Amino acid sequence: MTSPHLHINGIRKTFGDVVATDHVELEIGEGEFMTFLGPSGSGKSTTLYILAGFQDPTAGDIRLRGKSILQTPSHKRNIGMVFQRYTLFPHLSVGENVAFPLRVRRAPQAEIAAKVKRALSLVRLDGFEDRMPANMSGGQQQRVALARALVYDPPVLLMDEPLSALDKKLREEIQYEIRRIHQQTGVTILYVTHDQEEALRLSDRIAVFNRGRIEQVGTGPELYASPATHFVADFIGDSAFLTGELAEVKDGRATLRFTDGTVLADVPMHGVGAQGGKAELMLRPERIDLSDTVGPPGASLPVTVEDVTFLGNNSAVTARTGWGEPLYIRLNFGHPMMASVSRGDKLHVRWQPQDAHVFTKE
Amino acid sequence: MLSFLTPARRGSGLGMAMPALLLLLAFFVIPVAGLLSRSVTEPVTGLQNYETLLGSATYLRIFFNTFLVSGLVTLITALIAFPVAWALAIMPSRVAAVVFAIILLSMWTNLLARTYAWMVLLQQTGLVNRILMAIGIIDQPIQLTNNLIGVTIGMVYIMLPFMILPLYGVIKKIDPAILQAAALCGATKGQALRRVLLPLATPGIASGALMVFVMSLGYFVTPSLLGGTANMMLAELIVQQVQSLLNWGMGGAAAFILLVVTLALYALQLRLFEGKAR
Repeated sequence: MTSPHLHINGIRKTFGDVVATDHVELEIGEGEFMTFLGPSGSGKSTTLYILAGFQDPTAGDIRLRGKSILQTPSHKRNIGMVFQRYTLFPHLSVGENVAFPLRVRRAPQAEIAAKVKRALSLVRLDGFEDRMPANMSGGQQQRVALARALVYDPPVLLMDEPLSALDKKLREEIQYEIRRIHQQTGVTILYVTHDQEEALRLSDRIAVFNRGRIEQVGTGPELYASPATHFVADFIGDSAFLTGELAEVKDGRATLRFTDGTVLADVPMHGVGAQGGKAELMLRPERIDLSDTVGPPGASLPVTVEDVTFLGNNSAVTARTGWGEPLYIRLNFGHPMMASVSRGDKLHVRWQPQDAHVFTKE
Repeated sequence: MLSFLTPARRGSGLGMAMPALLLLLAFFVIPVAGLLSRSVTEPVTGLQNYETLLGSATYLRIFFNTFLVSGLVTLITALIAFPVAWALAIMPSRVAAVVFAIILLSMWTNLLARTYAWMVLLQQTGLVNRILMAIGIIDQPIQLTNNLIGVTIGMVYIMLPFMILPLYGVIKKIDPAILQAAALCGATKGQALRRVLLPLATPGIASGALMVFVMSLGYFVTPSLLGGTANMMLAELIVQQVQSLLNWGMGGAAAFILLVVTLALYALQLRLFEGKAR
């Protein structure tokens, strides 16, 4: 069996009583673009710092190409990194910044010149060698930082929210650049962000972090279509949760009973839940339909329309279930209901069975 | 009412500085000018005082001593202050506040008391000699007072805060992430220090060094208490000429040379660092 390019093996890090990361287990393939997605304080940055060697884990191991790197100091790990803050050396020109990793490695002068030129060309900053960092925009500075991190062909490139200081338009532009550079160089990238859109746009796979643990690892479509936990469902895409009681649990499928006696049978369930326990039904606004006829059992609920907002290419409908919980529905332009739906209508929401998920709740 | 506080009148700040400027004029500029004029008029008009000062081995020796001690003090102070400033910049702010208090407290303690304390510590049977002998570095007590060694030690101690504070100021502004970036780029601690930290701290080192060097050039108390009569420094010469010999001409000439050197160094510093900082 071949070992993965990078293996994060059961990393745990505590600061006093505070657990920053726990049981972080992840295998990353060579050339993969892996994103750590999660809110602040979820342990994604801590994991990255451990990879960079700025922090030592309390337990666990990190293996790069099969060898543990925990005993190797940062400067010998050969890992590239782009930081959240601007970290170009302010006293050095752009060219000298990019040359820095090669100079400290005592590379020959001719090689340095050629590699610096190539790296700057990769980030589309040809001819900027003599510019000082202070005379560049934030976006340009982060591109130089990217060139500096790639110039020595690192086996892994770490990126710690590198675009968070930039405005939205520039962020999207550089996201596109990062994708192109990833495809062009084939470098393995570990990218940290709290922005789900950024994660979906860039990544091959996403590891969703919450409270120091990875809740789920998968491609964007996987996370969207089959979230493993309430947190993932809530974090990736829009979602509404309806709380009920587990009337029956069988073969990973559940029957839910809501407070007004409404029963939904045969919904796919995640997590372990016993009969009588609380559970939540997750539905996405764009994956449910509004209709005046009742749908198949287990994939339909009666609702009352409470508010309709026209948003151009779609309408956002707020409806309330029989037991009073809100539910959001997105109707695309041209939907037969779009023109007629109005406040107070008693209708039915319907969905495909695979679009509903039940999460147990403690 | 209070119109001088409004932005429109900010240009006339000169008016508010006027009392201080007048005070400086009356009690600094005029007496200094008087002293300088006496250097070229006493005992007779001419540059004979300067000729004597710059032409005799005895006086050149005094200049040499002064520059040697000031240079050594500046160098040693910088070497000691850099790690201290660095530590202050990265330690938790609560701990740093305590260390600062200790540094400032030493600054606020009476200068004479501190210098006498060094005399006690450095004398033949003093603590420093006894420790050096106890750990076997020396067999015989070495002469640490009444010479330039004592002066240098005493002055380094007094000048340290003047080097630590400006250094701390620049180092504190360096983002630690820049050093993390240097490490990941492959720089060893030594390379990060040499190629990143030192260049970035240079303006602080320069302003601290200028301050310490200039203050050392004209320092009197420590050289006169810890130094010997055989190793006079410039300030001692001025005091001796003016106070003991009533030779205002020579004293004025020595003071003027000191002033010119100081201004030249200040101009150099401005030229090298201020332009870049803007």
